[in-house]
Amino acid sequence: MATREKVDVVVVGAGASGSVFAATLAKAGKKVVVLETGPDWQLSDLISSDFWGRRIKAAGAPFLLEGKNPFGYSYQSGWGVGGAALHYFANFPRLLPNDFKMKSEHGRGLDWPISYRDVAPYYDKVAQDVGVSGDAKAEEPWRPAGKPYPMPPMKTFRHGDVWVKACAEHGIRLVPACVGMNSTEYKGRAACIYDGWCHVGCPTGALSNPIVTYLGEARSKGAEVRAFSTVTRVLTNKESTKVTGVEYYDAQQQRHVQPASVVVLAAWSAQNPRLLLNSATPRHAKGLANASGLVGKYMMCHFASGTWALFDEDVQNHMGTTGAQFMSYDRYSKTAHKGAFGSTFIVAGSALKTSDLGGFANARVDLFGPELHAFMKRAARGLTRLNAFGEELPNIENRVELATEKDPYGMPLGRIVHSFDEDAAGVWNANFEEGLKIAKSAGAQETWSGRGAMPTIHLMGGTIMGTSAKNSVVNSYGQTHELANLYVAGPGIFPTAGASNPTYTIFALSLRGAEQLAAKWSSLVA
Amino acid sequence: MVDRRQFMRGAALGALAFTVGGAQVLLTPRAARAQGVPFRLLQAREAETLEALGETLVPGARAAGVAHFIDHQISVPPEEALLEARILNVRPPYANFYRAAIGALDKATAAQADQRFASLPAPAQRELVNVMRQGKLQGWQGPPQGFVYFVLRSDAVDVVYGTVEGYEALGVPYQAHIMPLKRW
Repeated sequence: MATREKVDVVVVGAGASGSVFAATLAKAGKKVVVLETGPDWQLSDLISSDFWGRRIKAAGAPFLLEGKNPFGYSYQSGWGVGGAALHYFANFPRLLPNDFKMKSEHGRGLDWPISYRDVAPYYDKVAQDVGVSGDAKAEEPWRPAGKPYPMPPMKTFRHGDVWVKACAEHGIRLVPACVGMNSTEYKGRAACIYDGWCHVGCPTGALSNPIVTYLGEARSKGAEVRAFSTVTRVLTNKESTKVTGVEYYDAQQQRHVQPASVVVLAAWSAQNPRLLLNSATPRHAKGLANASGLVGKYMMCHFASGTWALFDEDVQNHMGTTGAQFMSYDRYSKTAHKGAFGSTFIVAGSALKTSDLGGFANARVDLFGPELHAFMKRAARGLTRLNAFGEELPNIENRVELATEKDPYGMPLGRIVHSFDEDAAGVWNANFEEGLKIAKSAGAQETWSGRGAMPTIHLMGGTIMGTSAKNSVVNSYGQTHELANLYVAGPGIFPTAGASNPTYTIFALSLRGAEQLAAKWSSLVA
Repeated sequence: MVDRRQFMRGAALGALAFTVGGAQVLLTPRAARAQGVPFRLLQAREAETLEALGETLVPGARAAGVAHFIDHQISVPPEEALLEARILNVRPPYANFYRAAIGALDKATAAQADQRFASLPAPAQRELVNVMRQGKLQGWQGPPQGFVYFVLRSDAVDVVYGTVEGYEALGVPYQAHIMPLKRW
């Protein structure tokens, strides 16, 4: 066992949230070490291929999956520097004011301890930091005004354009999607060339993955990133009144202790609770920062209702980005669908590839043999999709807990227990029904719902923020209520999920938390 | 034969390393099959079942090397695997899943037709797959039938349509930023 030189901050995880903390604190002159369980990917590793893109997705100790709707995490999570944000679609919708006050306004779910107004300035800052393309004015019917985005909207293509009029006929305004991509050259990074390989990692720098944004900045300011470093415990002083660092294992399975003045857990929504629960001490017998008993609780996700439309024309579906060309908040009200509760966020116009989960072979999973081939030929020219993302409400029964089975380091595996409730099913079904009506209006030759098992997308919760240790794990900055020098970052701190893709909010909340940490540093480490 | 530097570059750029005559060479699964490269983990009968199932699911999968692809991928560390199983929450080692799936298909087929799946005529294979897709194949003992259908169909789609040649065959521009080596 080796004890490393003490640093100011150890960040566990080199994904979206960890990168922001590392960059902000390194810029503030702090000595920062980032421990990442996976490889130190370079842009040159990001091969344009669905096969090879799987290398940057989940690996390492598995999570056991239980419940009525087991959480399928491995498509969306990451492995290695950049985390899931190395292969994310960079859709950058923000949460809306109604997401922060669900309990107050509807008596359902939870309230955030902050409002949209507290986060909005950080959305604007992040947009400048990483480069965002979009039309802020076009979004303002749905949210308070903010700063314009630094770049104009991305180009659109026929497979997105075909949805605009049809959606309008059903009262849905499609506006240019807000994305973390370059419609023009930005900060020395190239403009997007619309080749549709975002989901396997963009090597050109046009998409704002952490390697080319915050993590790159952190490194340039002196932060050290140690790949293949798997953290197993957060360590505390004898009295368990503050954390003192972390225990981790390197690629040779050698144990190390990394002392630090501040620990930031930015591993993943399911991994952060696993670490806290595995770091119990006599004083924190239920796990660190778990006086509330809420560590690992209120896991949430999104679900999607995809509607396919096959046109008898070339809609250029190989062009564009994996995310979307257009978006709409017109079904974002929690009560938009009669008889169901929860927001819906709508996107249209994703570039399609042949294989992988999102490829057009999976638009008709019932087909095989010669019928599949005939479909593939037609889909290659004329297929497009409208996607509606729904919000799952926080439910305390959806949780991460420790299993008895252990990983190679002797750490108990995590178990994710997850079931959708009737509200989620209601929103999911309503979005399919509406999607089909819209698709029929679009003049497609064939339309159908992409129904299968109800999907689980974007894991959130597990270390939720709130006003005190009685009702939450962390405050609105991600600082744990019980241990002032222990922070948690990422979507795990969301108390509600909204229906928007979470990464823009992850960046914004992380920046807010990291700036607060830097500002109160001297009082925190005294 | 390739030296270490070529091997690493090839691995990074998309070819798979197969062992031929004791040396490692970079080949596509299609070329590995055409050259008769020995399987690493699969038994010959298991590979036959995989090829027959793959061909039923996606015409051309046999010649595209679906069995060599799966055999290669279940023999590498799970964090290096390129299988769709990896993103479908199949728990490593992936060989366990494939062996269970192959065994379940052959046993269920034998119970119904007194033959292995690979020995059936194509129309019968197709009918069995259609029943399996719906989770209704009698005598099935293994991972859920519908899931096996989905995973194996994905593998067959990968080797037939996920390659540069597959895109060309469909008339879809590949548009790579970083092109996989050997048109793979």
